[in-house]
Amino acid sequence: MKVSLFITCLAELFYQDVAKDVVEVLERLGCEIDFPHGQICCGQPAYNSGYRKDAQKAARQMIAAFEESEYIVTPSGSCAGMFKEYPGLFKEDKEWRDRAQAVADKTYEFTQFIVNVLGVEDVGAAYSARATYHTSCHMMRLLKENESPFKLLGNVKGLELLPLDNSYDCCGFGGTFAVKMVPISEQMVDEKVRHVEESTADILIAADGGCLMNIKGRIDRKGKPIEVKHIAQILNSRD
Amino acid sequence: MGMKIGDKPFFDRVDDALENDFMRNAMASAQDRLRDKKLDATERDDQIGDWEEWRNAGEEIRRHTLENLDYYLDQLSENFAAKGGHVYFAKTAEDANHYIQEVAKEKNAKKVTKSKSMVTEEIGLNEALEDVGCHVDETDLAEYILQVGGNDRPSHIVVPSLHQNKEQIRDTFQEKAGYTGTEEPRELTAFARSQLRDVFLEADIGITGCNFAVAESGSISLATNEGNANMVTSYPDTQITVMGMERLVPTWDELDVLINLLSRSSVGQNITTYVTNLTPGVEEDCVDAPKEFHLVILDAGRSNALGTEFQSALHCIRCAACVNVCPVYRQIGGHAYGSIYQGPIGAVLSPILGGYEEYGELPYASSLCAACTEACPVKIPLHEQLIRHRENYVAKQGKPKTGEKMAMKAFGVGASTPSLFQMAVKGAPTFLKPFVKDGSISNGPGPMKPWTSIRELPAPGNDNFRTWFKEHKRGRK
Amino acid sequence: MAKGTIHNKDVFLSEIAGKLGRERKKDVSLPEWQHQPQWKVYKNASPDDLLATFRQRSQAKDAEVVETDQAKLMETLQKVVEEYGGGPIVTTNDDRFAEYEIKDVLDNDHTHRWDTALGADNIEKANAANIGIFFGDIALAESGTIVQFNDKDIARSVSLLPITYIAILPKSSIVPRMTQATHEVHKQVESGKDIATCINFISGPSNSADIEMDIVVGVHGPVNAVYVVVE
Repeated sequence: MKVSLFITCLAELFYQDVAKDVVEVLERLGCEIDFPHGQICCGQPAYNSGYRKDAQKAARQMIAAFEESEYIVTPSGSCAGMFKEYPGLFKEDKEWRDRAQAVADKTYEFTQFIVNVLGVEDVGAAYSARATYHTSCHMMRLLKENESPFKLLGNVKGLELLPLDNSYDCCGFGGTFAVKMVPISEQMVDEKVRHVEESTADILIAADGGCLMNIKGRIDRKGKPIEVKHIAQILNSRD
Repeated sequence: MGMKIGDKPFFDRVDDALENDFMRNAMASAQDRLRDKKLDATERDDQIGDWEEWRNAGEEIRRHTLENLDYYLDQLSENFAAKGGHVYFAKTAEDANHYIQEVAKEKNAKKVTKSKSMVTEEIGLNEALEDVGCHVDETDLAEYILQVGGNDRPSHIVVPSLHQNKEQIRDTFQEKAGYTGTEEPRELTAFARSQLRDVFLEADIGITGCNFAVAESGSISLATNEGNANMVTSYPDTQITVMGMERLVPTWDELDVLINLLSRSSVGQNITTYVTNLTPGVEEDCVDAPKEFHLVILDAGRSNALGTEFQSALHCIRCAACVNVCPVYRQIGGHAYGSIYQGPIGAVLSPILGGYEEYGELPYASSLCAACTEACPVKIPLHEQLIRHRENYVAKQGKPKTGEKMAMKAFGVGASTPSLFQMAVKGAPTFLKPFVKDGSISNGPGPMKPWTSIRELPAPGNDNFRTWFKEHKRGRK
Repeated sequence: MAKGTIHNKDVFLSEIAGKLGRERKKDVSLPEWQHQPQWKVYKNASPDDLLATFRQRSQAKDAEVVETDQAKLMETLQKVVEEYGGGPIVTTNDDRFAEYEIKDVLDNDHTHRWDTALGADNIEKANAANIGIFFGDIALAESGTIVQFNDKDIARSVSLLPITYIAILPKSSIVPRMTQATHEVHKQVESGKDIATCINFISGPSNSADIEMDIVVGVHGPVNAVYVVVE
């Protein structure tokens, strides 16, 4: 199966290891991966801040980069969710709206693609740890993807998955929200970290770079001994 | 006092809120309890069928009603007046207050009782009535608590006194109302009952808000638990009901659906204890009903939303389900919003009613997590409307900071010019190197400052993914 | 009855129509709603099922449900009254008391039957009453609710002012949920009838959770509620 990787700007800048894990997991499952070079950023920072025109610039770039693809897969529920917003972003421009719709229709978040398109729930991974999982808001509510990460993690050998209280509450990232509303974001991420601590997990797993960067950034600042990993890193681990 | 709460700038209000530990604990525990109760009464209640279908039904009814608002308001007012009621269409808060003042003067009214109503908070009716010599008693327990306390304002549209704990309420009652009991809610409640019973019976005018009006019969529906709305509408000779112009349904069939959505979404009940439906035209010799019934239908900025992307904000039935799941409200409570309409719906509604000058920052007080949209029983796309507000704020009405505008312009260019982005990706490790310690940045320069003020920023990786991928592909061939 | 007044209607409604981008609408018919989940709830429930649900949902709201039949109604009522501390009692002025042959039990010094001729005295009596007794017109199984169509004789105060209220309900008056009751009202409106000026849906005793979300029963309305269901 031919898969175009949309790696996200955050992973390209900060999480190259996650990007490599995504490639290796998908290849092991038989996908042929290509990397469209025109890709940059989904445009969400501008879109969510109200800068529609600037978001459209980013979106046009991405649509052009990916419209030849068969499947578009990205290790971020939020960025996948933004692709789904593209048709609405061009609601007054039929040509771009149609192109946007075509791209949106073939876009999948990484775990969603593995479970729902490839039909795989056990990727043969092994990772010994007591972990908890952070359900990111956009994956849950924009993509309505609640099950795939749990199905995949449930089949990771050695991984004990612990419940996380108030898992449905946002971690306080929210893109530019994290820098625009610092005092509020701080309280939100602190509550999230507290719940992670209370879960007694040694490691927090998530499927979205933004949430990870926020929660890990706070955990590290506070010097807490909790590891934070992207789900691709877990799924690419072997005995 | 009106819709606005306090005069401080937004971030000062947020700071005040974040220092108030009791309030914050109260918000968190109230949210947790209300969330569970709501889920039990909605998605988890298998007796009522598919909750999603109920939401669809609610949305469908609200959409049709708002699309034909002029028609149904016409029908409502004609039916209300045909039965002897008096209808006043008020363009502004001042118009509404003036009309009600005139009624009070004509009746020579001194004592006014009120059941819970956010719309009368919005227009500052109590002060207007005091200006013409009326004494106004709030009778909903939460509103009573706020009123006894002096100048306190609502922090939640369903439970306005949510920010006060029982000890605070005890102290207020002791200091201001001669209470001598303990902080037990049962005792505090009994005190309010004893204080208000005669007040109800002696009032000259009873004033209510309106959960829904029914167009086909000219009726007003009030949903309460305490029985105070029944008291307020049974004993005074004159009843005045104030409604936001969007709060109506075509017929009694639709009333059923919306009362169900409201009761379950707001407080997790299958129906509120009282749903009281009042229509003018009581018999001459009726002893426990008002002789005169006035209905004030208020615009006060609502029509700004009609025909715009915000029209569905008027579908709101004021259940506060969005407030009860909002992670931002959870941290800052209601007063920080600076409006009696708080939480996600407050951040959508307040700028529509009061303008961007006053409330333009509220749409940014959201992480766009979409919990609100998911919770809304009439499916208002709240988080999307927050983005639409931000777009308006940026494009015309508001005053975004120039730095932000430039940054976003640069973003637009950077995010559509691959070579520039690659320069940034490749340059970032070198540029940020002086700030990196142990693979992490604790004190970032310029635009990274707000981020690193409370968190670490990962150091940009030295590996280039595109280079790796090229080599990786070559290796696989 | 004298027609009331309407102020500012045309300016107000024309502005709304303008904002909606069209002329004023003079005729709108209700669409056939795509979603009508309300009619499916307890659709095939038998009268016994409905009673069982009504009982369970009422008890969940701190209302006591007592079942009886017409022969034992008088005795049951006496017992309930005694249990809840006896008189003074206030009742609505309702022919059904005679129909159900319980008029006599309420014909005593402790009981006041609503009488409009006595004016405000009625309210004083109701306010001083320990128990209010009336007939429910419709009962809702889903929510343990009684529906009362009030008028000058079926006074609102009887269910509102006393410490305890007792509602007498024929078992046949139990319907699945609010849907059937509001539809009944809708049919009355459509047939051109004047509907009751106060239609009350009451579910158990009054209550509030305004103080720290702690539920307290008995706020401004009654503290106790008893439903006597008559077979």
